[in-house]
Amino acid sequence: MAAVASLRVPLVASIRAQSLNSCACPHARLAAQLQSRLPRSLPPRAGVRSFRTSATLQEKRYTNDHEWIELSEDGKTGKIGISHYAAKALGDVVYVELPAVDLEVSAGDSIGAVESVKSASDIMTPISGKIIEANDILAEKPATINKEPESGGWIAKIEVADPAEAEELMDAKKYEEFTAE
Amino acid sequence: MPPHRNVASSSYRTRWKELVGISKHQIYISHSHNPFLNLSIEHYLLQKSSPDSTVLFLYRNAPCIVIGRNQNPWLEVNFEEVQRLRRLEVAPGDTAAASALASERWKDISLVRRRSGGGAVVHDLDNVNFSVICPPKDFTRDKHSEIVTQAIRELNPRARVNARHDIVLDQGDLLAKQNWPDPKDMHRSMFEPEGPNGPPLKVSGSAYKLTRQRALHHGTCLLTCRELPRISQLLHSPARPFIQARGVESVRSPVGNISNDLTAGTSVRQTFERELIKAFVIAHGIKNEAYSNFGSTHWTSESEELVTRYVGEELYRIQEIREGESELRSKKWLYGQTPQFILSSHPTEEDSTARPRWRWPEGLPPSARVYLKAKSGTIISTRISISRYDQVAQVEADRIDRNLKDRNIHDVRDFLPLLTIGYDAPELSQSSPGSRRGIPSPGKYKKSWGMMSHTASWLNTMLGKPGQPWRTGYGHSNYLR
Repeated sequence: MAAVASLRVPLVASIRAQSLNSCACPHARLAAQLQSRLPRSLPPRAGVRSFRTSATLQEKRYTNDHEWIELSEDGKTGKIGISHYAAKALGDVVYVELPAVDLEVSAGDSIGAVESVKSASDIMTPISGKIIEANDILAEKPATINKEPESGGWIAKIEVADPAEAEELMDAKKYEEFTAE
Repeated sequence: MPPHRNVASSSYRTRWKELVGISKHQIYISHSHNPFLNLSIEHYLLQKSSPDSTVLFLYRNAPCIVIGRNQNPWLEVNFEEVQRLRRLEVAPGDTAAASALASERWKDISLVRRRSGGGAVVHDLDNVNFSVICPPKDFTRDKHSEIVTQAIRELNPRARVNARHDIVLDQGDLLAKQNWPDPKDMHRSMFEPEGPNGPPLKVSGSAYKLTRQRALHHGTCLLTCRELPRISQLLHSPARPFIQARGVESVRSPVGNISNDLTAGTSVRQTFERELIKAFVIAHGIKNEAYSNFGSTHWTSESEELVTRYVGEELYRIQEIREGESELRSKKWLYGQTPQFILSSHPTEEDSTARPRWRWPEGLPPSARVYLKAKSGTIISTRISISRYDQVAQVEADRIDRNLKDRNIHDVRDFLPLLTIGYDAPELSQSSPGSRRGIPSPGKYKKSWGMMSHTASWLNTMLGKPGQPWRTGYGHSNYLR
């Protein structure tokens, strides 16, 4: 797994693997191991292609409230979701209240809620801005948030007001230390 | 006398608001029976109480049905029964006196949507609700169920916490002494779970709300409810077989009372409240005066260490509580929060389960179809027709869809006008098969009209409201206004 930590590895692979590794969940760790092996077994061309798409993403950042944000390369938009740690703590998600498009929010505002095991939990935005898209997959299949909270189970896309806000958040390594406490 | 007493006397409300924000332990009992106010006070405490404080709030509600945050009222609530109670109709079998008493208490039954998750429940004054607000780090779903179980065991040793974090009464025989669990074990009682009377009975159900800084656990406790069958009746919606909904469906459980002495409501309640406060005080290391003074005039305390007091209607004067109360009452919250759903008279691609035929009104031809999709309580698309001829059905469906689309279900008093507006428009008359020169014969017209009326009446039953009677006598002058 040493190669994963190296910065020369294509960006998306390193981010995903790091963030997944940071989770205590054994399934996630297994998935991370599998994922980190994938690019090596692919032919070089496919590798190049995946590098191009992944290069538009910056490193994922995490909040104390276990939400993550992944900014696009230009820092103008970002994807918001909840961490593996949070998804595991919540238990089986049965409903996701998604934010309305065009909703203006400041960091820490509620952008929706998930229901699991008779609990309604608020989801907060890590960053200020305007919601531009909600993940409709979650409306039909709320369990996606348990299966892949840090990829397919993203909650909303946001037009970022100030990308600098993201820099104050934890990176994957710090978040891992935070959740280990 | 501590210095803050002076402040309290000068402005009692300001002092209370201040104490909520700083006091470490807070215990409140509400004198109000208004479910909207009690839930609003609870929400205020959730948002404003000091982040590291622990709060216990006890309240009782006048008869009401409380659904979970992400539930569908039409799927959970039997509105026919609600309306019957509201019209003061006497249930068959009730003795006159009992029914008069019961109706008096149940005629103002309200529908409430709470902010926490979970399923639908019915409250009345013989049910005590507890609510605990604490920092998320102290929160587990079982922790306070166990504390409440301790209090219930003072009244009934059969109580235990089950796998759903609810509290049930085991119904079986007493176990042999060597098999008795540790008395501190709240997950097992000294009794066999099942007995000749059936499986364990649920006496308390829980729901939770988690915010950035705080965790709320609240639940019901059925102490001496005299109308248990009514609970089940009110929660059986006739629309259940026809609705496919996103969101959260209730899990049905047989319910029971904590005390068998249904006539001793007040003393049972006082014992329970005292025991619950005692268990809470011990579990959180609070000064025992919070418990020992309970019931006396010395109980009220207002310090930064401990606040204990009765609350009620006077809290309307606090703006957030007043606004929270009206928000909970609003149709926007009550119905607009409903997750997307489809009401369909027949199996569809999305929902292929068979429909019970006996629910379908008599007098409708087998060709009749109702399909209605709604999001946030607003109708987004429909396909409603009665004709067996595709072309006619299409015309009917298009016309009705124009009338229904974008309407809020909760604003529709009666579906009949909406199904029949434009009914005698030329488009339909001309394409109606079997008619000569495009004009339907009066006989046919009357028959289809009747069918529309049946369809409307079915929709009125399926998508009922608590407010107005749905079984109105249809007359032309009434609905075409």
